[in-house]
Amino acid sequence: MKPSGLSRAGLLLYGILTLAFLYLPLVAVAFASISKARYLSFPIRRYDTGWYAQAMASDTVRDLLLVSLKVAGIVTVISMVVGFFGALAFARYHWRFRGLFQKTILLPIFFPQTVLGLALLMWFNALGVVPSWHTAVVAHLVWISPIATLIIAIRAYSFDATLEEAARDMGCSTLQIFREITVPLLMPGVISAGLFAFLLSWGNFPLSLFTTGADSTLPEWLYAKMVAGYSPLVPTVGVLSVFASAALLGVALLAPSLVRLWRQRAAG
Amino acid sequence: MTEKTILEIAGLYKRFGAFTALHSIDLEVYEGEFLTIVGPSGSGKTTLIRLFVGMDEPTDGTIWLRGRRIDTVPANQRPTCMVFQSLALFPHMTVGRNIEFPLKISGVDAATRRQRALDLLDLLHLPREYYDKRIHQCSGGERQRVALARALAFDPEILFFDEPLSALDYRLRKTLEKELKDLHARTGKTFVYITHSLEEAMVMSDRIAIMRAGRFEQIGPADEIYSRPASRFVAEFMGEVNLFPVQADDDGAVRADGLALDPGVAERLGLKAGAAGMLMVRPENVTMVNGSGAAEPGPAPEITVGGHLRAEYNLGSRLQYEVEGPSGQRLTVETLREGRFGGSPGDAVTLGWTLDRCHLIHGE
Amino acid sequence: MERLDRRLGALTATPMLVLLAVTFLAPLIVVAAFSVMPSKVFSLWHQPDFSAYAELLRQGYWKSLAWSLGMALASTAILLVLCWPLAFAMAKVYRRFTLILTVGVVMSLFVSENIRLFGWVLTLMKGGLIEGYVRHLTGVGFDSLLYNVPIIVFGLVYVYLPFMLFPLAQGISMVPDDARQAAADLGASRARILWEVEVPLAAPGIVVGCLLTFVLATGAVAESKLLGGQVVVVIADEVETAFTYGQDWPLGSALAMVLIAIVGTIAVIGVNRVDLDAIMGRRR
Repeated sequence: MKPSGLSRAGLLLYGILTLAFLYLPLVAVAFASISKARYLSFPIRRYDTGWYAQAMASDTVRDLLLVSLKVAGIVTVISMVVGFFGALAFARYHWRFRGLFQKTILLPIFFPQTVLGLALLMWFNALGVVPSWHTAVVAHLVWISPIATLIIAIRAYSFDATLEEAARDMGCSTLQIFREITVPLLMPGVISAGLFAFLLSWGNFPLSLFTTGADSTLPEWLYAKMVAGYSPLVPTVGVLSVFASAALLGVALLAPSLVRLWRQRAAG
Repeated sequence: MTEKTILEIAGLYKRFGAFTALHSIDLEVYEGEFLTIVGPSGSGKTTLIRLFVGMDEPTDGTIWLRGRRIDTVPANQRPTCMVFQSLALFPHMTVGRNIEFPLKISGVDAATRRQRALDLLDLLHLPREYYDKRIHQCSGGERQRVALARALAFDPEILFFDEPLSALDYRLRKTLEKELKDLHARTGKTFVYITHSLEEAMVMSDRIAIMRAGRFEQIGPADEIYSRPASRFVAEFMGEVNLFPVQADDDGAVRADGLALDPGVAERLGLKAGAAGMLMVRPENVTMVNGSGAAEPGPAPEITVGGHLRAEYNLGSRLQYEVEGPSGQRLTVETLREGRFGGSPGDAVTLGWTLDRCHLIHGE
Repeated sequence: MERLDRRLGALTATPMLVLLAVTFLAPLIVVAAFSVMPSKVFSLWHQPDFSAYAELLRQGYWKSLAWSLGMALASTAILLVLCWPLAFAMAKVYRRFTLILTVGVVMSLFVSENIRLFGWVLTLMKGGLIEGYVRHLTGVGFDSLLYNVPIIVFGLVYVYLPFMLFPLAQGISMVPDDARQAAADLGASRARILWEVEVPLAAPGIVVGCLLTFVLATGAVAESKLLGGQVVVVIADEVETAFTYGQDWPLGSALAMVLIAIVGTIAVIGVNRVDLDAIMGRRR
């Protein structure tokens, strides 16, 4: 039943093509961002990085970055905390409404985000809250904190419950068990959840669309420009935003080995 | 018994919904002994030990530790400690920090903690360099010792073990069984051990308690459990056994199907008039001769039974013979290699043993 | 321990439940309440009527709904077929490439959906990456590939690929190799193994993958707007329009309620059919 070499090679090729398919549009965007022409047309005749200089100097872009950053940062912190506890209730403890809780958490993920954004808009209106980037944080949380919960839950499932029992047996209080056992063991899950939360918030626009009021996030601005008509800054800002998340991801992936290296230096 | 009781359990019940896992358990554990609770899986032994250390609460009944009632005391305030089946070593801590963990929780200062951890590494024959090792760098046997060291660091009044050796391979298990017995002798602590392996229980324990379906069948020293089982279940649980139903009529005449009893033996069986029982004899206590009973060296058999040889199995140090008895039942005989029986399958044979080598199980 | 588990379970669930009550349940109640308000009001202090629902039936909104459901169904079916071999390879064939593919696919998720779709616009438009180079090399140009229904389905397939791929791979990894080998050993053909062994055992993954894809695609709006132009109007777009250009919150709410009812029913039925503990990798 081992797949033959040929079908193995075929499947590998299929996988590579899938990745190419996923990233092809980004290649188009990247090319467009360095085209000198105001009205884009392939093949590109003259390349120029002028749009980047213009984007960097733009106050609008700086404001957009700042709002996106604030929203993503706060969403990250809150979903890490809520997700940590949520994951314990989801995967670790056997309590009466666990099944119901698990299903409840999935609902916001399944929910059409545009509709969710509009529903929140009406809810804020009913409460008399004026939409701004603060309300966008709330909107993002509805969708992102359940995802964070699921990511940490995967870690919590592989968690051996007897570790906590052993700690209790040796005299730990519930709080000490949390500090000494549960938190350190779930930490890798919490960190990846945080990373996901940040990046998903950074790239999200359907939820921001109706909930940011006068403020605007990067993806929202891009969307507005795309729908309204072509702006040569769109590919440039798009690529910048992708680079920002790629950079964060790179740091996050490299950080553990850097820390290890640094520790070895310090120890040796 | 003159021993001092350290743990006393009375009328312990545990129910999970409609299922009763433990039926009115009574038990006394003596100071400094090595008690092993043996039972097949599902017999309730893990449930019982979890009640002892406080992981679960009994439905009914009481537990006293040195006269103090502890069944209502939460696990983290009981002076007991358990070595888990999974060992439950903390993967995010070094060996040293694992061992120090209970000391840290009870607020012992860092220097004392470290010294105590190093002493325990010595006690368990682990090199001191292991202090800084990670758990995943340790072998199965080393993890076992780390778990023991951690439990000993807690300095419990009683140390409980939930089948900690079950995941190891045969040879390592044999070594660790002996080490554990040795450790028990050196520390003088009370050990309560649960396992489904009788062999393990026999090697280590002072006393063995046999559990079945939430009840104790028999509690006693290993020898007694082996040679004088209280029930058919215990007899069969403790290895190969030959069983013969016997019955005494109202006038005292003993009827035993297919067994030939020497004169006077029937009276010495101890079977009361009108009662029934099972005569039990272990395979190694049976001698086998060809045909209808030629003379054998050693004491003359007082009880004999005829049959036909079916098969011979090589068990390594011993040989086992399967014999079909008079009513078609399967009988087993074991001898040392040196005592090989010369016959071949189909031969008529006679099995025999003396009265003091068999045991009467009352009832049934 | 059981009692403690129960208490801690409820306690640790509380932050999430409070969050969802305030930010998910409450807005839904508001939507439901607005859907029974008279036309074009902006507060809830009015005599309830069902005029919005009546309006909804009078106008041709069912067409938008049908388009949304139809395109979602099509993209789900296409994705199931496209992703199966890939998911199978991830679970059973690839070794290191599984990690590369996983990281690659997850990373693409972090790029805003609209940037990726915009990339397709640049790729497929007249004078775009494909047409531009074809014309440049062959001298023969063709029309824009955009602005039709198949391209919207293409966009849905593109955007929701990860949501089918990962659950499928997880589901297939739950099929023990022994079961497959035993079936082959007993003389089952490749097709029979697929149908009698793999599909039933991977069912939880298939259910979750299809459910996610279908539900998300039903509520999708960007694909039809960016790639499809205005060739068809999807239901989520109608909701948006009713709120923004139409300035008719009750109508938008009524439309949203219809969408929520359909999507919610499917989601609840689907979620109830899978053992979440098993699919997420419970140890015990």
